[in-house]
Amino acid sequence: MASVYIPVQNSEEEVRVALDQLPRDASDILDILKAEQAPLDLWLIIAREYFKQGKIDQFRQILEEGSSPEIDDYYADVRYERIAILNALGAYYSYLGKIETKQREKEEHFILATQYYNKASRIDMHEPSTWVGKGQLLLAKGEVEQASAAFKIVLDGVRDNVPALLGQACVEFNRGRYSDSLDLYKRALQVFPNCPAAVRLGIGLCRYKLGQFEKAQQAFERVLHLDPENVEALVALAIMDLRTNEAIGIRKGMVKMQRAFEIYPYCAMALNYLANHFFFTGQHFLVEQLTETALAVTNHGPTKSHSYYNLARSYHSKGDYDKAGVYYMASVKEVNKPHEFVFPYYGLGQVQVKLGDFKSALSNFEKVLEVYPDNCETLKALAHIYVQLGQTDKGQDFIRRATKIDPRDAQAFLELGELLILSDTGAALDAFKTARTLFKKGGQEVPIELLNNVGVLQFERGEFELAQQTFKEALGDGIWQSFINEEKKSSVDAATSTLQFKDMQLFHDFESNGHHVEVPLDKVTVLFNLARLLEQLNESGTASILYRLILFKYPDYIDAYLRLAAIAKDRNNILLSIELVNDALKVNDKCPNALSMLGELELKNDDWVKAKETLRAASDATEGKDSYATLSLGNWNYFAAVRNEKRNPKLEATHLEKAKELYTRVLIQHSSNLYAANGAAVVLAEKGHFDVSKDIFTQVQEAASGSVFVQMPDVWINLAHVYFAQGNFALAVKMYQNCLRKFYHNTDSQILLYLARTHYEAEQWQDCIKTLLRAIHLAPSNYTLRFDAGVAMQKFSASTLQKAKRTADEVRATVAELQNAVRVFSQLSAASNLHIHGFDEKKIDTHVGYCTHLLTAAKVHLEAAEREEQQVRQRQELARQVALAEEARRKAEEQRKFQMERRKQEDELKRVQQQEEHFKRVKEQWKSNSHSKRRERSDDEEGGTGEKKKRKSGKKRKKDKHSKSRYDTEEPEADMMDEQEMEDEEGDVYREEPQTHGEENAHGLLAAAGLEDSDADEEMGAPSSSIARRRQALSESEDDEPLRRQSSPVRENSGEMQESDGEIRDLDKTNGDDGTDEDKHY
Amino acid sequence: MKLGGIKSVENAHDDSVWAVTWVPATANRPPLLLTGSLDETVRLWRSDDLLLDRTNTGHCLGVASVAAHPLGSLAASSSLDSFVRVFDVDSNATVATLEAPPSEVWQMRFDPKGAILAVAGGGSASVKLWDTSTWELVATLSIPRPEGPKPTDKSGSKKFVLSVAWSPDGKRLACGSMDGTISVFDVPRAKFLHHLEGHFMAVRSLVYSPYDPRVLFTASDDGNIHMYDAEGKALVGTMSGHSSWVLCVDVSPDGAAIATGSSDRSVRLWDLSMRASVQTMSNHTDQVWGVAFRPPGGSDARGGRLASVSDDKSISLYDYS
Repeated sequence: MASVYIPVQNSEEEVRVALDQLPRDASDILDILKAEQAPLDLWLIIAREYFKQGKIDQFRQILEEGSSPEIDDYYADVRYERIAILNALGAYYSYLGKIETKQREKEEHFILATQYYNKASRIDMHEPSTWVGKGQLLLAKGEVEQASAAFKIVLDGVRDNVPALLGQACVEFNRGRYSDSLDLYKRALQVFPNCPAAVRLGIGLCRYKLGQFEKAQQAFERVLHLDPENVEALVALAIMDLRTNEAIGIRKGMVKMQRAFEIYPYCAMALNYLANHFFFTGQHFLVEQLTETALAVTNHGPTKSHSYYNLARSYHSKGDYDKAGVYYMASVKEVNKPHEFVFPYYGLGQVQVKLGDFKSALSNFEKVLEVYPDNCETLKALAHIYVQLGQTDKGQDFIRRATKIDPRDAQAFLELGELLILSDTGAALDAFKTARTLFKKGGQEVPIELLNNVGVLQFERGEFELAQQTFKEALGDGIWQSFINEEKKSSVDAATSTLQFKDMQLFHDFESNGHHVEVPLDKVTVLFNLARLLEQLNESGTASILYRLILFKYPDYIDAYLRLAAIAKDRNNILLSIELVNDALKVNDKCPNALSMLGELELKNDDWVKAKETLRAASDATEGKDSYATLSLGNWNYFAAVRNEKRNPKLEATHLEKAKELYTRVLIQHSSNLYAANGAAVVLAEKGHFDVSKDIFTQVQEAASGSVFVQMPDVWINLAHVYFAQGNFALAVKMYQNCLRKFYHNTDSQILLYLARTHYEAEQWQDCIKTLLRAIHLAPSNYTLRFDAGVAMQKFSASTLQKAKRTADEVRATVAELQNAVRVFSQLSAASNLHIHGFDEKKIDTHVGYCTHLLTAAKVHLEAAEREEQQVRQRQELARQVALAEEARRKAEEQRKFQMERRKQEDELKRVQQQEEHFKRVKEQWKSNSHSKRRERSDDEEGGTGEKKKRKSGKKRKKDKHSKSRYDTEEPEADMMDEQEMEDEEGDVYREEPQTHGEENAHGLLAAAGLEDSDADEEMGAPSSSIARRRQALSESEDDEPLRRQSSPVRENSGEMQESDGEIRDLDKTNGDDGTDEDKHY
Repeated sequence: MKLGGIKSVENAHDDSVWAVTWVPATANRPPLLLTGSLDETVRLWRSDDLLLDRTNTGHCLGVASVAAHPLGSLAASSSLDSFVRVFDVDSNATVATLEAPPSEVWQMRFDPKGAILAVAGGGSASVKLWDTSTWELVATLSIPRPEGPKPTDKSGSKKFVLSVAWSPDGKRLACGSMDGTISVFDVPRAKFLHHLEGHFMAVRSLVYSPYDPRVLFTASDDGNIHMYDAEGKALVGTMSGHSSWVLCVDVSPDGAAIATGSSDRSVRLWDLSMRASVQTMSNHTDQVWGVAFRPPGGSDARGGRLASVSDDKSISLYDYS
């Protein structure tokens, strides 16, 4: 072991001091040094040795003693050693200041260091080591530029001053000029190959920063080789290992990190990385301890930020959002610019979203986005926030960007789809489909909800086959396959139980056969939707089984009951339907949907009072917010107003008023409710405001077109009624026919009746009769139609006979038609012996009598007509012959004339030639003056017509403008309607299940709003008396005929329920009149 | 099994075609197609080219039903005025004019032996049986009024008979009515047997399986086709798929398939072994009122034929194989 020899003063002896055996008390050595007046370099060596051994106090004691004023005096001429001691002290305090975390102490240390260096400078201004020390101090204080200046002073003097080189390298490193820094380190190493490991550490760091990881690693390893306990190198290597992101690398890295931690437990960097590691392994307790230590030992902003971040993350993952928020905030505060360390902003944003502070979260995520403009997660988070803030458009933009940046992010497409459902179902479907493909490509299982959404959207767009496939895919394997799949169907004879809507035996059989009847909760909705789709595809049998399967497992699933009831209702099995609805009500006796449906069924069953109560209950159950119940009540009132035969005007008015009030109430709540608008328009029409109601109907019709789920034939019929009432028969016919074809597959005899009535009114007898025959063919048991047909034939015949001019063929057709009428009426008369059709026998007999009377009259007519025809034919023949003779005569005459003419012409020609010659001569005289005159005149003419033209075109333009402006005002209105409607629908679609409700409601509404049928039955009961009444009216009808004519169409057509009663009445009346006319005639 | 379109005749009639049947082949001619229309005519067509053979006039109001005698010599047509005209197919000579007031006339069917013509009597709630040699009314099969008074249910009190079908052995007769009930009669004893329940809307067409006298197929306005065990009063199967009323049904001569026509404008072919629709023909543009498989026999042994008629005034002929 090395030792120093302190020369003993005034002798040749020396005191040997073994450096590894320095006394614990430095005073002993100091005494010797002082006593022997040892050279100052010995003081320094011994102090340094103390320092190396970690005996800092002794080190300081010796040096402080060595720099005391006495020494200065004594060793005044020993300048270098004195400077060295001062510099050593300066460096020591610089170091203390550097590692001190408390600001005050730190500054005190730096002040001391500065003092020592200044003292050294006073001894010798140019001593390089002092400048190096000063530079180091400035570096430690963070004053990089001044430090650089200090080092430059040294390097200007001595190019290869190693400490200065190192210092300058450090400066360059801090400035971020890593290659310059690297050059300096290299030069230092060349000059002084044995320099300490730290130099190589610098090289390693530079290379690391320059991205030369291999070389960096070599450098760090060299450092460790030289100094196995070099914490920085260990940490650096560990970080590099961790960066590999592979299991082995991470493990190796963690081993190194741990060693670094064992060597020096207060390296914040190592602590942070360890904490980071334990965060991922889930040892939150360790994370907190390590980060707290790290926070205690460092003052370095970024490192602290990292520590806070670790801590926050730990709390975040534990769900302690408040604490996590606080620490994220602390972390963010330590960061100057988001660019340096952006993670805490993200975390903070997340926590703020969780805590509902969207505005702050928004700004944080936006900061993250500034740093990483292409980060999908951030984009998605922002999209989510914007949606929460109600800015759906912005949300869509962001999620779109996310999908563009990473077109393989299934989750993003899923979210995009969910956002788009609200506005653009087509695009939403595309997004969902992309998501589905991505999930499949990624080998992931496609979420059931996604498939369900895809299916529902396809369903809604009318792509039923696709929707079916999708739903089946969503369902996967399960018991339901036994019912859905065609091939397996035969194995279970499900068909037999399709009619027993409440039969669960099927499933019990299944269970007893060892099958496991299982329906996972997450698939119930899909199953329900599939069943709904099957209904749409007219596979109501299979649908019914699926609904029952749902009920078998989930007996509280009300919608399944209601759908079963709806199927039963479609099959006209009202009693079963009511039973099923009552089952649903057993589950929840306040369910407004079930109550509404029950009310409707009761109406269908003609139970008016009960229906009203039920509908009231439905309305009450939702506190009047359920439009359907309110609407139904409105309809109820409307029908109550118009159904009453006696038409108590007071009652009618109150009912109508009440209906209007109810419709209006719905419209106030949902301004785009088509059914309410329709109802309101009906009431308006009922009161005679045809123009207004026509506008409303037209708008409703426009709004209703374009969705699978909204089918509103009623509005078409109403519109047709209005056209009819306004006398626009052609349009009315078209409207009725379109409605029939579009909504009823041409199967609705009631509309055919309306159609026939329109033809009747338009006096298109043959069309009227044909239409009625079709109606009879469709509804053979409706004898009213036969009666109407008879009347139409009678009227046709009468009107032909009334004509002043008619051919024998016409009369013959009339006779045939009259015979038909007689047959129809007598059949009716006979049939009414058997059953009650609501026809008065006598009345029919009158018709028969009248028709036979007409028939006899017609026969006379026929003879007359035939005779006349004969005469006409003879006359025509005569005329023809006369004409022929005339013709011949004329021809002869012409011939004669022609010849005369020719002779004349020849004479003429000669004369003309003579005249021409004469004319030529005269012309030459006139030439000059006549020319100019003619031109003037033609100019005038042109100008006049031009002006006229202009004026005309101007008018046209005006007209155009006018019509255009009208369109303009109309369109926005329609648009608005559309939009509102869309919104309503969106609401429905987004909730998957309610959507099917809405649909159901729609179906119900159709019937409720239409409801023509319910009265058709009604009228069968009472008519005999009413007919008698009508006949009374008939006798008076002559006087007030025109008046009645005007009022009757209003009444009949304004309502949706044009009663065939009314029809008959009207027909009767005209008949009666015709009859009297005829009588007068003969 | 499948259908292949052979020929369609647009505007085969001047108005909706409502009825169709095949007149079986006789010794000196192949089978003919017989159609009836709202235009008041009955027309005879030669297959496979669907050449118009003859137009019979004389009916008033639309022709609602046509029927052919199993021997192919006689046929009957009826119209909404409730007259039945029986005529010689080849000469168009009127054999008889039948009416049984106040009973109306809807669907008509000759029994398999050709001895009786059954006529659905509409509001009279009965089926009239006419002797085909004397053309006299031999029996009225009345549907009994349902037991127990049901005053509230107005439609239930009257069975409006729309359609009739003979069992292949001629012993049973089934009729369908407006309210959806089907009534089965024992013909030799002229006795009502029972109702078949399941439909609640009009049954406009029904047919027995050619081989199994128990199996009855029914088409209803509720959009479904039911398959009943007519003796056991049991519903054997339901086939759904049409989106509107099913107006007509016929069973193939081999008994393996049925064809249906519907208001949804389609003709569907159903495989009875799968009880599922195997093909949908959508060449018609309006309601399909009649479908008819050509009966086997006749000189030409070509494949099966199916004819359909529609409100769109057209007739279509398909190859069935």
